[in-house]
Amino acid sequence: MVIPLEGLEYHPSGGPDDRHGGQAAVSKSAPLWVRVRKNFWTTRLTALAAFLVVWWFLTTPWAWNGDKPIMLPLYLPSIPSVWNAFIRANTIHPIAEGVDREVVGEYGYYLWQHLLATLQRIGIGLFFAIVVGLPLGLLMASVKIISVSIEPYINFLRSLPPLGYIGLLIVWFGIDNTSKIWLLFLAAFPPITIATIAGVSGIKEDQIHAAQSLGASRLQVVSSVTVPAIAPDLITGIRVALGFAWTTVVAAELNNGIPGIGGLAYLSGTELKTPLTITCIIVIGVTAIALDSIIKAMERVLTPWRGKA
Amino acid sequence: MSRDKSLVIDGVRQFFGPKNSRVQALSRTDLAIEPGQFVCLAGPSGCGKTTLLRLIAGFIKPSEGQITVSGSEIFGPGPDRGVVFQSPTLYPWMDVASNVELGLKFQGVSKDQRRADSERYLQMVGLTDFAHRRTYELSGGMQQRCQIARVLASDPEFILMDEPFGALDALTRERLQNELLDIWRKTGKTILFITHSVDEAVFLGARVLVMSPRPGRIVFDEPAIFSNPGEVIAAEEIRSLPAFLELRERVRNAIQHSH
Repeated sequence: MVIPLEGLEYHPSGGPDDRHGGQAAVSKSAPLWVRVRKNFWTTRLTALAAFLVVWWFLTTPWAWNGDKPIMLPLYLPSIPSVWNAFIRANTIHPIAEGVDREVVGEYGYYLWQHLLATLQRIGIGLFFAIVVGLPLGLLMASVKIISVSIEPYINFLRSLPPLGYIGLLIVWFGIDNTSKIWLLFLAAFPPITIATIAGVSGIKEDQIHAAQSLGASRLQVVSSVTVPAIAPDLITGIRVALGFAWTTVVAAELNNGIPGIGGLAYLSGTELKTPLTITCIIVIGVTAIALDSIIKAMERVLTPWRGKA
Repeated sequence: MSRDKSLVIDGVRQFFGPKNSRVQALSRTDLAIEPGQFVCLAGPSGCGKTTLLRLIAGFIKPSEGQITVSGSEIFGPGPDRGVVFQSPTLYPWMDVASNVELGLKFQGVSKDQRRADSERYLQMVGLTDFAHRRTYELSGGMQQRCQIARVLASDPEFILMDEPFGALDALTRERLQNELLDIWRKTGKTILFITHSVDEAVFLGARVLVMSPRPGRIVFDEPAIFSNPGEVIAAEEIRSLPAFLELRERVRNAIQHSH
């Protein structure tokens, strides 16, 4: 039994949603993509090992290089120093070597507290993005005058780099959490609205007619046909929105962003704590991939008919 | 107007497109369908027979004239006129039983009652074993059966069928034709069945209509006896009856000469 590995993986053949091979045992005559999938993690881990070797090579002092690494620690810290930064960020440790005073993690918070603070902001921002973006999309899809008047502003907002208006949001909503959540909300809701509109326009007219002929009221058509019919598009929209929100998070946490993993990444960079910056980058990236996999899994559970009907 | 459940199409004409370049899809049509009748409407593709069905279903409004059910004009779709679409419009996010129950759910029928009804109609169309399958797991013929069960479950006065068996293979098609006749005999529903198959129209209809090419006009309207209740004869036998062949020939001529 081969467990289908689906998600973000790159499948040179077969494709991530091709599940037919899931039941078949891998044999010599198995199609290429089954064999690739079988060797999937081997390939992945080999690539990771190669990457780490290059990193190690670039950051290790070499006698032929005058006992200096090829890349100075300020530019590319060594693997152990990044690991140490990761450990420091998760423990109570002396403020400096040989000093008795101890501090918690980085800037008074453990790394997981920074991450959690950011996840909370993103969660709240995304929540409001769905609460506003979905009904707005439904409204725009069904009332022409609303879509004609609002659409340019959504496209305008969508094209703005968040760094451009974070200052304005701080002036309007203060330097604390509210302005950050606003920024994440503004980044996240346009994709949800646009996906909703696309979903509604993709509904087959006769699916609506069929419900009406079965006696559905307007509201029943929306709840029994429109909303489930757009669910696949909506989930895709949420996935894109989460990606946008996540790439916006450093901008959101530029000012007064502690605790916050984006704020920590930015602040440590300005203070030349390169190992900590790299730690943050890795945590941000890995978390983003994990969140994306969760949404992909939800997609399979919630909309199993996707692509089949 | 009579108080019975008859369907009356009164002076209906239908145009499509903008005013200055509009296309006439249906020329003036007058038609009355009596309760319990099985009416087949045959005609070449593009003749406007689907337009007529959609007008009756209430999906489009007639450009001229009116359609009345039991004497009152129809405005829009309603549960009194169930529709079986050419390509099944089952909802893939529900299982087969939930699709069948949907009309009852809209009417606010209790869950237990819905279950009981859907079981009955699924049995009628032979889908009992598939009640909890997803609709996209069904074959084309099964999907049409499911659509028929869904319409029957919501208990409409009229069942409007738009070439429901058009996309099926010959064997499945004949089997479903016989099943449909059985259902009609059991339920006594009024059925308007649209088809481009002359054979199907003559075999199924208690009354056969032929529509001319666009703009559509009813050019043939005769009773047929081959689906009459109480005269259940094997399908192969019916199809070899001289009277069947004769009517089929006349319907075919009517379609050809209407061009």
